Amino acid sequence: MSTSKKTTISAERMYDVVVAPVITEKATMGSEHNQVTFKVRMDATKPEIKAAVEGLFKVKVTAVNTSVVKGKTKRFRGTIGRRSDYKKAVVTLAEGSSIDVTTGV
Amino acid sequence: MQIIETSAEGLRRDFKVVITAQDIESRVQTRLTEVGKTVKIPGFRPGKVPMPILKQRYGQSVMGEVLEAAVNDGAQQAVSDNNLRPALQPKIEVLKFDPGQDLEFAVQVELLPEIEPADLSAVEIEKPVATVADDTVTEALGRLSKGRRTTEKVEEDRPAVTGDILLIDFDGSVDGEKRPGMKGDDYELELGSGSFIPGFEDQLVGAKAGSDVTVNVSFPEAYHAAELAGKAAVFEVKVKEIRSAKDAELNDDLAKSFGFDDLEALKAAIKERTEGEYGQTSRLRAKRSLLDKLAELHSFEVPAGMVEIEFDQIWKRLQEELARGGADAEDEGKDEEALKAEYRDIAVRRVRLGLLLSEIGRRNNISVTREELQKAMFDEVRRYPGQEQQVFEFFQKNPQAVESLRAPIYEDKVVDFILGTVKVNEVTVSVEELMRDPDEDEAAAA
Repeated sequence: MSTSKKTTISAERMYDVVVAPVITEKATMGSEHNQVTFKVRMDATKPEIKAAVEGLFKVKVTAVNTSVVKGKTKRFRGTIGRRSDYKKAVVTLAEGSSIDVTTGV
Repeated sequence: MQIIETSAEGLRRDFKVVITAQDIESRVQTRLTEVGKTVKIPGFRPGKVPMPILKQRYGQSVMGEVLEAAVNDGAQQAVSDNNLRPALQPKIEVLKFDPGQDLEFAVQVELLPEIEPADLSAVEIEKPVATVADDTVTEALGRLSKGRRTTEKVEEDRPAVTGDILLIDFDGSVDGEKRPGMKGDDYELELGSGSFIPGFEDQLVGAKAGSDVTVNVSFPEAYHAAELAGKAAVFEVKVKEIRSAKDAELNDDLAKSFGFDDLEALKAAIKERTEGEYGQTSRLRAKRSLLDKLAELHSFEVPAGMVEIEFDQIWKRLQEELARGGADAEDEGKDEEALKAEYRDIAVRRVRLGLLLSEIGRRNNISVTREELQKAMFDEVRRYPGQEQQVFEFFQKNPQAVESLRAPIYEDKVVDFILGTVKVNEVTVSVEELMRDPDEDEAAAA
């Protein structure tokens, strides 16, 4: 896959890929650098995320960094359980674009 | 904040207050920072929540809070800047407010009138006073002795007259049938007392001791026992004795039976009680004439809002009374307009007198002490025997209920104070005159 080739995805897939915005202290720190953080599907790829965010919020994305956040191990009534892992995507927006993460889509 | 007086008319003052958008914005900002220090939002440590998020979460409620505070502040400032004494809570009406725009609202204040109490020392009022006549005491004693009377057999062989007491056996029948409950032995019947069926006692007048009399009567239509109502009845009456009533002798023994040491003590107690009653009435009459006088002497303007409240109260009570069917005879036949006008006048008078009394009290540093309040509370508690505990608790839990007791005490104290200042002419009047309802006088005069 060449870097110039643009990934196109269907509208449903866009909504599937972007699960929720991450609103934490750390995530809001990124807002100073024009970065927005989302929780995304585990199987979403960076190009997919870029396409989804651009499609949904009508913005220009310059970079996507992802990381898989491991679920914590929790004990509940003596049995050990594990929270699900999830993928987090820090999306850098082009100058001039912005997303109000609190309003939702 | 900008306060503009838009109109000043009589006791009414209108203000227009403008608070700039920046002012509101900065107030919201400070309030949000305050909130942000304590609030907990998931994903953030306490106190580290960024402003945009705070604004989005709490902006609405903080804005409401700030607006309310701003409006109240504005109204307060409008009042204090102009050195006004408002009669009631200022009326506030928001004229214009859009987010990001200046807030404009109108404040309407009604002022307490400047009252200059008239020179009270020049006022003369009449206080009707009645002395307790010996007759009254004797009469009261007579009533007591009658309550303890004994009967005595009349030895003389004479026909019974009204007022005599006959000792009789009687046996009654209806339609030739004897009935239980219509039979009695050794019954003491006072002729003319009206305790039996009408006609019964009349037919015994003239009977002699030892004679048998047949009494024909018919039960009244409205008799309480339905099956007997309206029926004719025949009573076989045997007059055993003619007795005459003898009132208990007025002596120390009688007094002792009422719990007094001797007759003099009983008399004194009766006198004292009657005097107390008269004294209370005298005071009430004096207070009334004083209030009349005060109302006559003062004619300052009263705040329309207070009159309105007072009038509404009176009117509501009146409506309730009407709904219960207890229309005042005097008010009958008047149409609603006339009634309203009449009661409005009363409301004006009440408000005026209330203001005047409180002003006089204020000038003379009259206040209600804690002890007096306490005493009034205990009096109130005592009015509900058996439930003292609950009433007491009610007062403890509701300080405003205790406060409501304060008003009448205050009024009384002020009235007492004024009565001490003005010239009170004691006028001796007869008891009947004293006890006459002053309202009737008024109605007669009107």
